[in-house]
Amino acid sequence: MIDQRKSGEPGPEEDDFALADRVLKGERRAFEALVRRHERRVFRVTLAVLGNFEDAEEAMQEAFVKAYRNLGQFRREARFTTWLTRIAINEALQKRESRKDYVSLDESREIERQFAPRRTESWRADPEKLYGKQELRQIVETAIQGLPAIYREAFVLRDVEEMSAEEAAEAIGITVGALKSRLLRARLMMRETLAASLEEPPTLGKQILHKAEGIGISVALRVMRGVRG
Amino acid sequence: MKMMDCRDVLANLSCYVDGDGSVELRKALEDHIAHCRPCRVVFDTTGKTLRIVLDVEPFQVPLAVSARLYTRLERVLAEESPVR
Repeated sequence: MIDQRKSGEPGPEEDDFALADRVLKGERRAFEALVRRHERRVFRVTLAVLGNFEDAEEAMQEAFVKAYRNLGQFRREARFTTWLTRIAINEALQKRESRKDYVSLDESREIERQFAPRRTESWRADPEKLYGKQELRQIVETAIQGLPAIYREAFVLRDVEEMSAEEAAEAIGITVGALKSRLLRARLMMRETLAASLEEPPTLGKQILHKAEGIGISVALRVMRGVRG
Repeated sequence: MKMMDCRDVLANLSCYVDGDGSVELRKALEDHIAHCRPCRVVFDTTGKTLRIVLDVEPFQVPLAVSARLYTRLERVLAEESPVR
């Protein structure tokens, strides 16, 4: 196991370029600092593309090994994190395409179909108090994992990793327009899923209304039976 | 700008939550949601969705996954240098 606190540890102010320089000058251990800084993002994006932890872990390992071996090709025209994310996504996409069970979506048709929101009740004011952070995280993770892959990757890059639309589109290899379409749909799907846990319970007024509707139906049924009988 | 219907408004949801789009577009969206309760709820709760997602910091790297990554890299770092 690599010691997490070696001497020569970079301060937060030491940027990725400086760390990459140190690695290239022979201080290989500086690469560990880059890994610690970015492993979470790499894991999230490989998980977003692949949808399961085992494949995401393998893709993450491959991505870091590739990044290390090819560090000399990092041109510094982009941020290190953009370069690394692109490697991670390529690794994950290749893995996904090689999977036997992978069925490519007819993406254009999928995007054209409009997603209509169904739940339109307001939400409770303080979801963290209602569930606690841990439980709320579980709800969010389940919702993200439930998204179809093309929406999940768009959502994670933009709304979890907060990459720009341009960066995210380039990383996945699609147009900015396609990224935005997928993102809109992903956001609406996420909202819909979270709504199931976070909507306001029906107000007293609504409960009475529902009861009245119920009574109305039972009266009507009795009347109908009476008429028949 | 012409009156937007719910479908047009929904298509521009991302502009609204990301704070993009022209002043004119934002004004048209705000005019619509001021009078349309379902759209207002969708806009408001989509914003909340995005805030919650960031707040909870989803998907931590499991410790065992991280440990296996460092073990693998330790081997690679010991044996290889980056290609210049």
